[in-house]
Amino acid sequence: MIRVTDLYSGYGKVPILNAVSFEVSEHEMVAIIGPNGAGKSTLLKTIAGLVHPSSGKVVLEDQDVTGLPSYQIVRHGIAYVPEGGRVFPNMTVMDNLRMGAYSNRQTLKEGVLDEVFTLFPRLKERAEKFARTLSGGERQMLAIARGLVSRPKLLMLDEPSLGLAPKLVDEIYEKIRLLKESGLTVLLVEQNTTYALELADRGYVLENGRIFMEGSCAELASSDHVRKAYLGL
Amino acid sequence: MTDTLLQSIITGVLMGFVYALIAVGLSIIYGVMNVVNFAHGDFVMLSMYLSYMAGTLLVWDAVATPLITVPLLFLFGFITYYLLIDKTLRQLYVVQLAVTVGLQIFLRSLALIVWKAQPRALQYSIIQGNIEFFGYSILTSRLIAAVVSLIFIAAIAYFLNKTWAGAAIRAASDDLDTASLMGVNYHRTYALTFAIGAALTAIAGGLLMSFQQTDPQGGMRFGVLSWCVMALAGLGSLPGLIAAGVIVGVAEAVAVTFFDPRSRLLAIYMIFILVLWLKPRGLFGRK
Ligand SMILES: Nc1ncnc2c1ncn2[C@@H]1O[C@H](COP(=O)(O)OP(=O)(O)O)[C@@H](O)[C@H]1O
Ligand SMILES: [Mg+2]
Repeated sequence: MIRVTDLYSGYGKVPILNAVSFEVSEHEMVAIIGPNGAGKSTLLKTIAGLVHPSSGKVVLEDQDVTGLPSYQIVRHGIAYVPEGGRVFPNMTVMDNLRMGAYSNRQTLKEGVLDEVFTLFPRLKERAEKFARTLSGGERQMLAIARGLVSRPKLLMLDEPSLGLAPKLVDEIYEKIRLLKESGLTVLLVEQNTTYALELADRGYVLENGRIFMEGSCAELASSDHVRKAYLGL
Repeated sequence: MTDTLLQSIITGVLMGFVYALIAVGLSIIYGVMNVVNFAHGDFVMLSMYLSYMAGTLLVWDAVATPLITVPLLFLFGFITYYLLIDKTLRQLYVVQLAVTVGLQIFLRSLALIVWKAQPRALQYSIIQGNIEFFGYSILTSRLIAAVVSLIFIAAIAYFLNKTWAGAAIRAASDDLDTASLMGVNYHRTYALTFAIGAALTAIAGGLLMSFQQTDPQGGMRFGVLSWCVMALAGLGSLPGLIAAGVIVGVAEAVAVTFFDPRSRLLAIYMIFILVLWLKPRGLFGRK
């Protein structure tokens, strides 16, 4: 589905990503774990077109999408749910969701809003509320729902558990599990290694902007490095 | 005394709606792209001159001239955005300042060269006379200006809340990067916003020409008062802009009637300072 090859990227003259390569197959859920500051968000932002790569390739289903601006990337079927959700605070929940369909308005006619309301009933209750009035968990749900509204081929989630109470993390991950079971292709970035490795099919460890390890989640979870550095065992 | 006061309040309220219409453009532009267009008042001045030209050449009534000046100003705003503003977005704030202040100087000089220093007014209007209102007389052209301004503010509200382009503008003013993740091409959205802001001054310009004259320095007055209206209102509230427009309009009218016609800017500016002291985020702004 998506293949990233030898990607170099950063901010201005500061290099962050160093020869990053990985791939995600269709219907697969891949996790990228790594410590704070490793470059996980930079990686997703580079794929999404918010950060310009200095070299390397991003290919989505045989289409080269490297370095396209973000407003074009979403048209190719990649939805990026940014760290912290980044909902539009002064728009209603409903308008936030409708913005998710900006690149693919057809989906609204196909009843995509009913689908996301089925997955996140709480958003339906809050539909006419301004997003700024939502709790942290609700914002995260809204951000994921908004990403789904465009019916992406690939959903990229940036630390969906960030800053949430454990109970809410469980709830969010239950939703992500449902999405995975529905066959959606997901690229998940997490510092919350336990959750990520439990749910994903495969994983990569990103450290200092480089892919340090890769393997099935079971392999990663049993490796000494991951156990010591990420699972605290 | 109270009669004169009420009379000037009525005049001020009507004028306030036109001011609100002018400030809507400035406010949307600022809200979306964080650019204070220091030439906004001069867009009004330019619009008034173009109305003057259209009105004289075609022998049209001033209020009909926006049919011509609105497309012109829309185009002007669009081009200005791509030629000047787009380049400065990622630059230092002083660069943006220099660019829009430069545009202000350019438009004033242009007006001086083309239309010379003497004020211009349109001679004839089908909208003559006064309307009596509980014993107070209202200039018909001012009443029409107020009503048309309100209609267009309502139209802008509809556009922002009910159309895709409007939603893109609201999203971009909330969070630009995230809006672009949704597929919003912000260059286009910004250009549209700037063009709409300019087009609104063309409506106001035509309405104003039905009872006022224009001169090359006129942009100063509209600039100052639209910044004041925007600051008074705070960001993100169209009803707030209407209320702030009315406050400014009444302050101006009362100062002109009871103090000195030359004190209009002073009165507006004093209210502005007062509000900055008391409520720095404006009277009706969010947050
Ligand atoms: N907008 C930015 N400008 C400059 N440096 C940044 C910016 N965002 C992140 N960085 C730097 O890039 C590095 C990687 O950050 P990030 O990709 O956010 O890491 P992670 O998501 O893995 O925590 C960090 O050192 C961070 O300070
Ligand atoms: Mg991050």
